[in-house]
Amino acid sequence: MLEFLVEALRAAIPAGTPLLFGTLGEIYVERSGILNLGVEGMMIMGAVTGFSVALTTGNPWLGVLAAAIVGGLLSLIHAFVSITLRGNQVVSGLALTMFGVGLSGLLGRRFIGTPLPAQAKLVGIRIPVLSDLPILGPLFFQFDPLVYISILLVPIMWFILYKTKLGISIRSVGEDPATADAMGVNVFGIRYLCTFIGGVLAGVGGAYLSIVYTPSWIEGMTAGAGWIVIALTIFALWSPLRAILGAYLFGGVKVLQYRLQPLGISPNLLNTLPFILTILVLMAATREVMRRRIGAPSALGLPYSREEK
Amino acid sequence: MRKRKFLLVITSVLALLALLAACATPTPQVIKETVEVPVTKKIKAAWIYVGPIGDYGWTHAHDLGRKYVQDKFGDWLDTVYAESVPEADAARYIDRFIQEEKADVVFTTSFGYMDATIEAGNKYPDKIFFHCSGYKRAKNVGTYFAEFYQLYYLNGLMAGALTKTGKVGYVAAHPIPEVVRHINAFALGVREVNPDATVDVRWLFSWYDPAKAREAAEALISEGVDVLAFTEDSPAVVEVGEEYATQKGKPIYTFAHYSPMLKYGPHSAVSGQLVHWEKIYEDILTKIYIGVYTNENLENVDYWWMLREGAVELGADFGVPINPEFEDDLKAVKVKDPILGEISVYDLVFKRLEQMSEETVLFDPFTGPIKDQDGNLRIEAGRRASHDELWTIDWFVEGIVARIPR
Repeated sequence: MLEFLVEALRAAIPAGTPLLFGTLGEIYVERSGILNLGVEGMMIMGAVTGFSVALTTGNPWLGVLAAAIVGGLLSLIHAFVSITLRGNQVVSGLALTMFGVGLSGLLGRRFIGTPLPAQAKLVGIRIPVLSDLPILGPLFFQFDPLVYISILLVPIMWFILYKTKLGISIRSVGEDPATADAMGVNVFGIRYLCTFIGGVLAGVGGAYLSIVYTPSWIEGMTAGAGWIVIALTIFALWSPLRAILGAYLFGGVKVLQYRLQPLGISPNLLNTLPFILTILVLMAATREVMRRRIGAPSALGLPYSREEK
Repeated sequence: MRKRKFLLVITSVLALLALLAACATPTPQVIKETVEVPVTKKIKAAWIYVGPIGDYGWTHAHDLGRKYVQDKFGDWLDTVYAESVPEADAARYIDRFIQEEKADVVFTTSFGYMDATIEAGNKYPDKIFFHCSGYKRAKNVGTYFAEFYQLYYLNGLMAGALTKTGKVGYVAAHPIPEVVRHINAFALGVREVNPDATVDVRWLFSWYDPAKAREAAEALISEGVDVLAFTEDSPAVVEVGEEYATQKGKPIYTFAHYSPMLKYGPHSAVSGQLVHWEKIYEDILTKIYIGVYTNENLENVDYWWMLREGAVELGADFGVPINPEFEDDLKAVKVKDPILGEISVYDLVFKRLEQMSEETVLFDPFTGPIKDQDGNLRIEAGRRASHDELWTIDWFVEGIVARIPR
């Protein structure tokens, strides 16, 4: 039983890592009042970019970097439409997803059936004594570097959001942009910055899939991970600390469905579980009492314009 | 100020339109490939694919077949195709191919297109249709399929010889007769070499999802499985095997599916199943061109092609039936065969391959006595299962520990 749990948890962490990257980014985006439904598109563009750069240069880190840049640039399209042009954020985000999915298929065509050579893969680390410890080894000291980076990002992003002036600016822009503007906060700058961060992290999440998790390029390989990120952002109630719990929980459900299958537990039922939990969390969060503490950013999805104050 | 706002609205509308235009990319699209050669008689053939041609599995393999006939018969053949066509949308695409592209022959390559293809056959009686993997035919609608069960049996022989834990795994797509038949053939091979070994199965309920395939493979490995075969359109399972073999120092043997995957797992992929759709397309189109097949005589045209016809090939890569890295391991394991006597598994694989490739197929894995997993005799001693029995098979053979979900 213990072995089963350790093994399941060990598998859940890499399964949840692309979700964690995406969710951390989307939390910043939504905290600043922008709803970006283009995560799926940015992730898959990150996946194809990451894979192609890692393949051609033989260096996985360059692949991750390129994926981050491409994700960031794509998010700027959304930022321009929704912040500068004050367009409909839902339409723009959906367009970005469809655009990314289509373009990645086109760009990736020549990488189909090409494996990533061994030196271009990111492999698990090996620390002499620690990695070989019976339970702690597989649970803490055998993952690939990106897993540790994603875990490290959690407290950093939490700290910035809640303990720094920049974090206050981000949150205030998401709650009440007019007041923030009056207080001298650069609403447009903050929103552009947060949308960009979201794009960068979505791109890295996609690269994790194509360089580490299933090291290959196949059309449509994110298979809806971007939409799970949107659900996870709500599930985490826009907090980086809860995001890590949520990501590993969602990853755990993905992993468990095959381990519990012999017991006759339907994988379809397990697959709906995270979404049912998300709905429950959302219902709890929208109650008046809770809303003041943990609700969605008040200005989420609303374009801001100075003239209409 | 009002004027500026108006301008902004106009600009945003234009930008959105541009984005919407850009997002038309992922919807199924028709791509033309024409070769300009003046000849008297020309045939235009259209393919309707269920997935993207970049899936590195089913649709990819069909498209390689289309490209092959396009290159070979370029003088008289034009081809067009549409990818990622939803099964409910097939009729619309067939209409479009026939009315706008003036196609003479339409290949529909997914089971779910069956009824739409038959209806189109009624609607366009002077055109020819071929449906892949279905069982309904008409005077102008034929069917075809490249079947893998012989290869899965051969893969099973190798799996039985290589497993050290006695547990063999199978990552399966959907619980339908085709997949059940392949798992059965695999298990028959495993048990012929290793009568005590068991085969465990995990169902993905998806034809294509690399992340799920990876998770299912890892779940099987954590239960002690050390050999994996699969039905899923990506190399994810082979990659998991390679990762275990090279990074975790624990050999996991895998069998590639549908496309050449040896390069994804040089130290893990032992063998696999490869398809040659071009053999079938070549045969069909040649016969249409010379007038053997017409819109009047396809009622009984059903291709069920295997090793004998060259429509399938054993191996993880073309021309490599067994990964040389595992040759010695397979030669070291000996079995006693009632007819062939003591023989190494390596030789047994090639003997069976030869028997099944000959004009008169001398061996079939589904030859009785075969019991189901509950111990009931399903195929009596000495009898070969019929095409219809195999086509509709819905029970697991002895040795498979998983159940078929109902």
